[in-house]
Amino acid sequence: MSNVNATTFTIVVVLFVLVTGVGFAAARWRRASNMMHLDEWGLGGRGFGSFITWFLLGGDLYTAYTFIAVPALVFGSGSIGFYAVAYTIMVFPIVIIFLPRLWSVCRAKGYITPADFIRGRYGSRGLALAAAITGIVALMPYIALQLVGIQSVLSVMGVGTSSTNTYLKDLPLFIAFLVLAIFTYVSGLRAPAMIAFVKDTLIYVFVLVAVFYIPTRLGGWDHIFGAAQAHFAAINPKTGKPNGTFVPASGSIGSTRFDFASLALGSAVALFLYPHAITGTLAAKRRSVVKRNMIYLPMYSVLLALIALFGYMAIADPVTVANVKKAGNNAQLSVPYLFQHMFPSWFAGIAFAGIIIGALVPAAIMSIAAANLFSRNVFTEFFKPDASPHLQTRVSQWASLVVKLGALLFAVELPHTFSINLQLLGGIWILQLAPMLIAGLFTRWFHRWALLAGWLAGEIYGTIAAYKVSNPTTSHWAASSDIVFGHSIYIGISALILNLIVAVVLTVIMRATRVPAGSDETLPHEYTIDPEQAPAPAPASVGAGAGAGAGAAGAD
Amino acid sequence: MSDPEARPKNAVAAHPITSAAIAILVAAAIFFILYSPIYSSATPKIGALPFFYFYLLVYMPATSIVLWIVVQLQKRLKPPGAPDDDGAAHSTGPAGSGSGVTR
Repeated sequence: MSNVNATTFTIVVVLFVLVTGVGFAAARWRRASNMMHLDEWGLGGRGFGSFITWFLLGGDLYTAYTFIAVPALVFGSGSIGFYAVAYTIMVFPIVIIFLPRLWSVCRAKGYITPADFIRGRYGSRGLALAAAITGIVALMPYIALQLVGIQSVLSVMGVGTSSTNTYLKDLPLFIAFLVLAIFTYVSGLRAPAMIAFVKDTLIYVFVLVAVFYIPTRLGGWDHIFGAAQAHFAAINPKTGKPNGTFVPASGSIGSTRFDFASLALGSAVALFLYPHAITGTLAAKRRSVVKRNMIYLPMYSVLLALIALFGYMAIADPVTVANVKKAGNNAQLSVPYLFQHMFPSWFAGIAFAGIIIGALVPAAIMSIAAANLFSRNVFTEFFKPDASPHLQTRVSQWASLVVKLGALLFAVELPHTFSINLQLLGGIWILQLAPMLIAGLFTRWFHRWALLAGWLAGEIYGTIAAYKVSNPTTSHWAASSDIVFGHSIYIGISALILNLIVAVVLTVIMRATRVPAGSDETLPHEYTIDPEQAPAPAPASVGAGAGAGAGAAGAD
Repeated sequence: MSDPEARPKNAVAAHPITSAAIAILVAAAIFFILYSPIYSSATPKIGALPFFYFYLLVYMPATSIVLWIVVQLQKRLKPPGAPDDDGAAHSTGPAGSGSGVTR
């Protein structure tokens, strides 16, 4: 611990304690009559307006993914990393097509999770179970990415690196995670929503300062882009290929255009299939709140683009490049090292605290969402149909801890060459829900068993394909793109295409042979309604199947 | 018009041009960022920014504006007298815009 900068360290700790305090105070904020109800613990009472929803949904975008993983990919490979920028732009026009419908039907029927909707729409417990398990498993590597992000910051700060013991080295990580786990356990979704304000304020301050200040230290944007262009055009002596691409290219130097587009499209479609993004959406008070946020949220992406450019700033700074090389060429460290070198130690402390908290908040939201899935769609559905709301909330709280442990496993076991692969791996899995969830919001044409078969085909193909990707340093899980028909393409997209083909073909067969299609408890108008009040969150509807039907729609 | 179940179908049928405009705007917003060959070029430079990076930065506020237009157009799809989608003001939160028709 000898190389820890005292000022930086103190500021990080103080800010962390401060924010944790806000989290606990949030448990009392607009306090509900009964916190031990899943609507309350898991959806913040479904009463969030545009402003809070903006922070809550924005929190899904601003994570360690943004601060560590994207600049790391930009630092290591160049323009392909900017697919993340294209993705966060593309996501809103895509999502505005289906998300308001999802909000309406969930409000009308009192659904809390995407799997609730699947069960109600297709009358299929098996399909709902598939959706629930997919959501839980896909969130684990995404949470793991947050852990890797925190680890990167802490190791640049010098915490724990003097020890060679694996467990001692990760000790700060375990402590931070324990704190998160405890306050998530106590106050549910309200804590992360409240912290989102603090975190985003911190983030805006340091990103804007960094964007205006660092280029003046590095000889201006012209120099930064020039250095990046020269660096990526240079031939790497080890591979005999250029270091990367400065703009997505086609042809002889390796086609990255198709890769770029498929990564962006896959990530964009995937984002609002993740249970935590749906949780954030369902916590909104009105349908218009959801729509309005699709207008405001692209503003978040502007900042994301600037953050991605930190990767180029790091390339233009020889000290950062040397530091990263010294630390075993871990690209994840490029942004923390850049800040450490460019900023006075107190300001580096603010920036590091912002990144750490910016990883913790989404990790909390994600684990709550995964936990809701487990308690609603696995525990209550299959093990204890008469579970009280109190018991459901308890189960959720414990499940969120288990999910975090699962994430820890991913963080330890998977290679860290580019931590963005953790998120992309989750994306491959979650994307396979697109046919049943997105198509299901518009049409009941697909047969439930065909959707299940398509899902299974997509998941199996995607997992095997991702496992088989290797590179010179890693034999498995090395990347999330694969060559199909001569094009490098995001595995999530190729698996989804397979999924769709299977679902369509089998649907035609099932319909021809008149296999029972299952009941559908939703009504057409429920996909567009905008009830002012949530239907009284009736615990009775939790396991009640089709019978819960039409009554709830008229609650306003 | 008062039958809530019939409303969405009627709205699209009654305003074919508005509906088509919404579809075209959303499709265009997706296409012009998805089809990367349009903008994956280092030149021309706008200020210090190579074109690829300039395009990405400008596209975001443009998306916001397009989606704002889409939401405004969607409001026109509603038959007169139907509840406003824009959130009638009510006392429990800061989000209500006050423009809504009371229910």
